[in-house]
Amino acid sequence: MKLIRRKALALFAGLAAAAALPLGAIAQAQDMPAPLDNPGDVKIALVRYLSTGDFFQAYLSGVEAQSKALGVDLRVFDSRQDAALQADMVDQAIALGVDGIIIQHGLTESMKEAAQRAVDAGIKVVAFDVNVENDAIPQIEQSDYLLGKLALEQAIADNGTEWKAGYVYVPGIAPLDRRHVAWEEVKEANPGIVEAAQMGTLDNPIANSNANQARSVLQANPDISVFFAPYDEFAKGVKIAVDEAGLSQDVKIYSADVSTADISAMREPDSAWAATVATNPAVVGEVSVRALAIMLTGGDPGAQVVVPPTLITQDFLNENDIKNMEDLSANMPQFAHADVAMTEWMPLPPR
Amino acid sequence: MSIHPDQTQPDASAASRPARPAPRSSSAIDLAIRYGFLALLLGLVIFFSVFANGFAGPRSAVFIFQSVAITGILALGVTCTLVVGGFDLSIGSVATSSMMLSAYMMVVLEQSAFVAIIACLAMGAFIGLINGLLIVKTKIPDLLATLGMMFLLVGLQRIPTEGRSIAVGMTLPDGSTAEGAFSPLFLSLGRHRFDFMLENLLPAPVIFLIVIGILVWGFLELTRHGRLMYAIGSNERAASLTGTNVNNYKIMAYMISGVLASVGGMLLAARLGRGDIASGTNLLLDAVAAALIGFAVLGAAKPNAFGTAMGALFVGILLQGLTMMNAPYYTQDFIKGFVLVLALIFTFSLSARKAGSH
Repeated sequence: MKLIRRKALALFAGLAAAAALPLGAIAQAQDMPAPLDNPGDVKIALVRYLSTGDFFQAYLSGVEAQSKALGVDLRVFDSRQDAALQADMVDQAIALGVDGIIIQHGLTESMKEAAQRAVDAGIKVVAFDVNVENDAIPQIEQSDYLLGKLALEQAIADNGTEWKAGYVYVPGIAPLDRRHVAWEEVKEANPGIVEAAQMGTLDNPIANSNANQARSVLQANPDISVFFAPYDEFAKGVKIAVDEAGLSQDVKIYSADVSTADISAMREPDSAWAATVATNPAVVGEVSVRALAIMLTGGDPGAQVVVPPTLITQDFLNENDIKNMEDLSANMPQFAHADVAMTEWMPLPPR
Repeated sequence: MSIHPDQTQPDASAASRPARPAPRSSSAIDLAIRYGFLALLLGLVIFFSVFANGFAGPRSAVFIFQSVAITGILALGVTCTLVVGGFDLSIGSVATSSMMLSAYMMVVLEQSAFVAIIACLAMGAFIGLINGLLIVKTKIPDLLATLGMMFLLVGLQRIPTEGRSIAVGMTLPDGSTAEGAFSPLFLSLGRHRFDFMLENLLPAPVIFLIVIGILVWGFLELTRHGRLMYAIGSNERAASLTGTNVNNYKIMAYMISGVLASVGGMLLAARLGRGDIASGTNLLLDAVAAALIGFAVLGAAKPNAFGTAMGALFVGILLQGLTMMNAPYYTQDFIKGFVLVLALIFTFSLSARKAGSH
């Protein structure tokens, strides 16, 4: 009897805690270790290299949500693909007296020294998707290799191992380079998979420029049955070209990344976009802030914090009538929250 | 600023005058100047037809037109400002702002296609008016005024959505979900295909390009207003002394440019089905390249609508042909630059020699 009562009490306490969670960010602040016991005085900076596109918007929203849940003061620096400016912005953040910095993308060469200066100034730094060659700086990663690999495994599951492929790739962009490794491996392992054409450009608007190129590729290689476009802006472009060529029944597109716009494109009737593999960029943003918070409190998130990706197929979207990212998170728990960079005291953004 | 190579000829009607009989020795050069670029264009088409699999045929012709339709429309706008001796650097960002505005009107404010189109055209005209006023009233040099406008618009287009791209079902800054959608009528502006010889062959943007091209050509070459604009470009002071209202014509040129850029932006939104945050720099550069290449067509050595259309087509044929031959992406900028330099050589050096030989 006593036992039951205790259980009921615990259950009740759990429920109360759960109900309080969205409101309780401030109430919980006292439970967080120093300096986060007084989070209003903690300043962190997000220094961005890439910001245009759905992925980067969602990443920012994740960073903002987790910062808000912690109660820290977030400053956003956006260099808009200017590598030199991004390095200057790190110095600016140092001058501002921030406690922590998240470096989001960038070039190793330009960021390595700036990151070292921040570390020397006693600032905790984490880096997302850029290798700054520094042992004091943990790497946050969505596993781009796995992203490519899962998409291609699905392509093989759908189409067998004998097909002509169109491939969209721009070398020199770190995440694309890592996804490229998966493509090379799959081609190696399956001699029946032939790369008939390679294309790709980052001219903006990216989808429009790639649509023009893909249209030419499809015209020159009418026997292409699979397009591997491992970046959603690429996939959007290829889909426009496939639709314009009237080939939506004959070509299947496999890509990486996902957004609300991508979901609606995948769910159009007869859409050629068969599957995409993604980590939720908002979750990656949250993980970046959590890793930084762990460092600020003297903890160690590990040298590499990898956020695992999820396969999203057109069939899954249709079966569950998923219309946007919120629906997707609701239907795919592994997409809504990644159990990495977690501690007992860590407050989570409201869902 | 003026980049007319024929500054030395104040006579505005020089443009429409038939070619003077040239001395025998320079007739080869004359031929090269007049038909060199068109011959090159023909050569390219033949080259790609032979070597690029699937290049020859109505379908590729159509998608080459489609790939240049939007930059072509923007380039026609730039041509109008070049004609009056100006330059509009803001067209790329006017186009992307118009793309964002049309998406915003329909997706966020849930307006009809008609309202969205009117709003975009009005925005284009208004920005053109501001550009024109800045240039003629406050005497800011055209490059600087339109450069300022370009930066202003790149920022302005992000303010309503706090930097988010606009897509159906997007999450708004306040956390709610956008309820509106692109109207099918609007999407058809960028996606509808008319039957022409083959079923569903001609995409709507190509029709827009051709119609706008003919209108701008007719306006510049056949009307009194067009000739006066050329006169202003050749010698602003002389035009003003003959009683031309130089300021009004200049403002009009920028308004045409703004409106055409907004049309380009709407076609882009209709093709993509979303409002993409973009600086429009690539659109600007491609459009300017097309207009400058146009100088070389038919030895005009001045901005002209026909040349601009040919210039856009030339770049389109090259890029699509190269893509079909699997040329890597970085060769494309190189080729664009090479063609532009070649065209400028045609225009400036050869026509200077022609002028010198008389």
